[in-house]
Amino acid sequence: MRSFSDYLRSVDDADLISLFSARPDLVSPVPPDIASLAVRACSAPSLARAIDLLNQWQLQVLEATASVNEPFTAKIIASLTDKEAAPALDYLIKIGLVYPSDDGLRVPTQLREVIGGEPAGLGPASMVKLKLSELDDAPADSKKILERLIWGPPRGSVGDVKNPGPGVSWLLEKKFLVALDQRTVILPREVAIELRGKKIHKQVSAKSPELTGTKRDKKQIDLAAIANVSTVLRWVEELLNFWAEEPADALRAGGLGVRDLKVLSNHLGVDEACTAFIAELAYLSSLISIDANDQILPSNKFDIWLMQTPADRWQMLASQWLITSRVSGLVSRLESKNVAALGPELDRVNASKIRGLTLALLKENPDIAPDWNSFKSVLDWRAPVRRNSSLQDELAEWTLREAEWLGITGQGAISKYGIGFISGDDLEVINEDLPKTVDHILIQSDNTAIAPGPLEHEISQSLAMMAEIESRGGATVYRFTEATIRRALDHGKTGDEIRSFLAKTSKTPMPQPLEYLIADVAKKHGKLRVGNTSSFIRCEDTALISQIINDKKLEILGLRRIAPEVVICDVDATDAMRILRECGYLPAGESTNGMILTGIKSNRASSKPRPPRIIGEVEIPTQEALTAAIRSLRTGEKSTHRQTRLRQVANEALGALPRSTANETMDILNQFISEEKTLSIGYADNNGGVTHRIIDPIRISAGSLIARDHATGEVQSFRIPRITGVAPL
Amino acid sequence: MSDGPLIVQSDKTLLLDIDHPLSVECRRAIAPFAELERSPEHIHTYRLTPLGLWNARAAGHDAEQVIDTLIKYSRYAVPHSILIDVAETMSRYGRLRLEMDPVHGLILITTDTAVLEEVIRAKKIAPLLGARIDSETIAVLPSQRGQIKQSLLRLGWPAEDFAGYVDGQAHEISLVENGWKIRPYQELAAEGFWHGGSGVVVLPCGAGKTIVGAAAMAHAKATTLILVTNTVAARQWRDELLKRTTLNEDEIGEYSGAKKEIRPVTIATYQVMTKKKNGVYAHLDLFDSYDWGLIIYDEVHLLPAPIFRFTADIQSRRRLGLTATLVREDGMEGEVFSLIGPKRFDVPWKEIESQGYIAPAECIEVRVNLTEAERLTYATAEPENRYRTCATTRTKREVVELLVEKHKGEQILVIGQYLDQLDELSEVLGVPVIKGDTPVKEREILFNKFRSGEITCLVVSKVANFSIDLPDATIAIQVSGAFGSRQEEAQRLGRILRPKSDGRSATFYSVISRDTIDQDFAQNRQRFLAEQGYSYKIIDADDVFQGKI
Repeated sequence: MRSFSDYLRSVDDADLISLFSARPDLVSPVPPDIASLAVRACSAPSLARAIDLLNQWQLQVLEATASVNEPFTAKIIASLTDKEAAPALDYLIKIGLVYPSDDGLRVPTQLREVIGGEPAGLGPASMVKLKLSELDDAPADSKKILERLIWGPPRGSVGDVKNPGPGVSWLLEKKFLVALDQRTVILPREVAIELRGKKIHKQVSAKSPELTGTKRDKKQIDLAAIANVSTVLRWVEELLNFWAEEPADALRAGGLGVRDLKVLSNHLGVDEACTAFIAELAYLSSLISIDANDQILPSNKFDIWLMQTPADRWQMLASQWLITSRVSGLVSRLESKNVAALGPELDRVNASKIRGLTLALLKENPDIAPDWNSFKSVLDWRAPVRRNSSLQDELAEWTLREAEWLGITGQGAISKYGIGFISGDDLEVINEDLPKTVDHILIQSDNTAIAPGPLEHEISQSLAMMAEIESRGGATVYRFTEATIRRALDHGKTGDEIRSFLAKTSKTPMPQPLEYLIADVAKKHGKLRVGNTSSFIRCEDTALISQIINDKKLEILGLRRIAPEVVICDVDATDAMRILRECGYLPAGESTNGMILTGIKSNRASSKPRPPRIIGEVEIPTQEALTAAIRSLRTGEKSTHRQTRLRQVANEALGALPRSTANETMDILNQFISEEKTLSIGYADNNGGVTHRIIDPIRISAGSLIARDHATGEVQSFRIPRITGVAPL
Repeated sequence: MSDGPLIVQSDKTLLLDIDHPLSVECRRAIAPFAELERSPEHIHTYRLTPLGLWNARAAGHDAEQVIDTLIKYSRYAVPHSILIDVAETMSRYGRLRLEMDPVHGLILITTDTAVLEEVIRAKKIAPLLGARIDSETIAVLPSQRGQIKQSLLRLGWPAEDFAGYVDGQAHEISLVENGWKIRPYQELAAEGFWHGGSGVVVLPCGAGKTIVGAAAMAHAKATTLILVTNTVAARQWRDELLKRTTLNEDEIGEYSGAKKEIRPVTIATYQVMTKKKNGVYAHLDLFDSYDWGLIIYDEVHLLPAPIFRFTADIQSRRRLGLTATLVREDGMEGEVFSLIGPKRFDVPWKEIESQGYIAPAECIEVRVNLTEAERLTYATAEPENRYRTCATTRTKREVVELLVEKHKGEQILVIGQYLDQLDELSEVLGVPVIKGDTPVKEREILFNKFRSGEITCLVVSKVANFSIDLPDATIAIQVSGAFGSRQEEAQRLGRILRPKSDGRSATFYSVISRDTIDQDFAQNRQRFLAEQGYSYKIIDADDVFQGKI
């Protein structure tokens, strides 16, 4: 057994399962046979993915395997790295980056390419057998050169290989340096390993650095975290309620404009980075949708979400956040151009991987709020391969920040809710730990009401309608003003309903000023009524008003009495006056300032006059004009005649459809309608296809020719512009 | 979940449940760093402000103590962002220090050169600075001490002032406690002020702010300049100081329109200080005419603008501001704090009331219906005359007559804004009226007669809003006011809050025309008192007419 596929054929199902679970790309889609599995596993993209999974130590061992000649043994690798290499090597075998063959361990052929030409800064193997012991005797100049190349990169440039300096020439002679081209020399791998003290890495990182940070008290962590949990839920709810009232407009390029973000940030009382995060959370969880008019609105899923328990609500947000590739931190990043929240530019490849890793690290180090530098070094050890290196640090930083906002952490250290979430446990504990909802408020005489805890949903909805929120947090402070009471009245509540709701909900007696405020506003509310009408009729004689109201003949006016002396009317004033006169009343018009309009009505049009055109009568042209006209006619005639002739010849030759110009068409039609002759026409249909029809023309009307079609025997209309040509039959 | 009395909100307000058994303890714990915003019946609102936190730092509290206090008393978990914010804000204090250097004079010195570099580049700061001494020190023009502190505060890098205060010319002053004792809160206030160096003490009307001033003088034992609102108040201060301290008549001078005495303790009026002669403030020299060791600003919420400017130049002298209602309708509270000094002491009115040091008071809003004719006049009045029209209706006069009749035998003040209304009331009620044009002498005679009980009812204009000490007045009837001024309402209530000899409670009537802007203004006026826990009772004028109350 030599090849990777042979090896794969030899392993049992359990090994295959562990291979697949580490490298899921190998089974999606499921390969048809082992041979194609092997091909896929050895392909560069799949190997690159697998290498992404390695930590610093595993990567070092892999580099070692790529730097020795195949086949090799675990012993060799251990001697080149560290005696701890065995477990790492086992892992590499497990995920198929190294495989055992009959004569020892091997690596897939493409691996070296994927790792890079010079793993760990080592050059290629020497082509000849080297006497490494002679290195000790190297002259001082040569030693200097070796020192420069020993830790890589293994290439150095020389003036001219043909004419080397003293140090280089000795090395070239002993083959301790190999000329690559005219100006470049390279240090063979064996020499470098020998000089590195028979090791490959300067420093072996067999163990992860320890994560340090501030120790936190478990109880405080959870307290802080549950506060964060309730805050993030509140934020999302508030954001969506805000958009429900004032939907934001999405930018044409997609996403939320900077100004809208700012408005929102003010409303929520958090900075813009956090606002973008909240908006993205809602977006990821499908709580908002962007409709056809580019309006950003809460979706109906929001209503369902609101009905769920806090734990379920939170879990939905957190789990969407964990797996998304969208990075809300990019929105407010100083150095990036304006990237819009909810916009199309937020996806980053390794976002979810870094998030997972960050949370895993936090989970492994409970009770510690990590110090950033320490956290970064641990992260670098865990994920040394960086495909998007510039962002990795920021991603981790944002993840820590967002985990805090979400309440996965509290005071920077992982909370029990975070642990439960990562482990996929039941999060019922959130419901238990959240502050109990309260069902009452305390109304005070300065027209504020305080809910000393999270309010029950229905109460908070009603209160939000009749008071404005002044302060948010564990408790909520509401303020009643004339405007807020009016808003409640506008929503259809009556003053009594408001009062009894407050009296029922408040634990403290309702202060009298508030009662008066409600009563005052309720009394004034709707005192002025506004409606539409076309005209009015007024009369100081209420008897006369009653008379016209009851006059059957006036029903057409649609009269409605809105005051003893005033009736409003569905038709406009002119018509109303005419009808009233017809029925024997004597109305007079009233101007806008209440004056009676007297005298003969003499109206003026507001538009510009457009006199009708004169038809039939034609002005006699001047002599010059006539001469010019005739000259042009003659010329035109000549050319038309020739063209018509040509076309006739062509038509006859081809047996094609009749063709004529628009003028000719009208001419011929007019001529044959009067002669009642049968015609042959070409007629274009909707799709532009031209058909040949035989017709008896009847008349021309409104741009159409009315004629009897011989094919159907029916009278039909033909649109004149569609008639491509006419010819007598 | 602890069950503390405090709820820390995410907008940095603190809600204190005062019905909670730990509320008193908690109030004491948070008072050093949180500012009292409102204190109605059930839940008091405090706010964490940078200024408050820096004051706490200055008074020796550190961020950890503040955070521990919040966590200890909090009912719910304290938002992490607030804890971080507290720590960050407090760490900004003290990076810059103002010191007096024997060689260079006043210097700004830092422990963090980056901060110094930042502030010296600020446009507002640069002109106040002198020569750079080394990387951590820069000279400051001595005259700009107040300015630079104010500007640094705005930049968010408050300077700790180690430059100290001039002692002023020493003058022996002590309290003489014969037959009375300084109240605990007065002593706390005076001490709070003294340790802070300069600042504002906020106490309800009638709670004895003069004594706090006297106690501060006894701490300073130095020559003192006292600025008050008017001559009558100046004389009251003098009488009080004579009674409460070792000072005798020769040591106290009055500097007013009438007299220009400069003595070791001089009481000057704002009016004379801001009087211009040939376009210049002729009397501002008074600040320099003596080596004052202490300057007291009475009713500091009324501080006129020229005095503001001048106060900025005397930052090396100790300054004490006294007020009941630090609300300025012009929004200049911040200026008061930065020029006089931060709030050093504040206590809810109701707490002083419960200790019996101010009289309990009932506030009643009497709503008057306009007659049809009045309604019509009101509806058609020019906007600038609308308030006047509804505030001076005839119906109000009838209600006042009835109320005065009802409280016959008690000491009654009728307070209003419009002079013709006051004249009319004075005529109808047959009592004297005190207005701006009443000579000081006559005012004093009338006030004295009122104090002695010779007359039981007075009609007064806004001249009696402040500083007038009328211990036995129990009833105040307000008929009109300066539009929606919150502090005026509170000050007027203050006229009747002196504890009564027989422990009687006071009643404050505010007569309002229903459904007019009078009512809207009244609502705004009442806000300050409502926030102090005074709940207004609203009654109908018809009930008064029918004798139901």
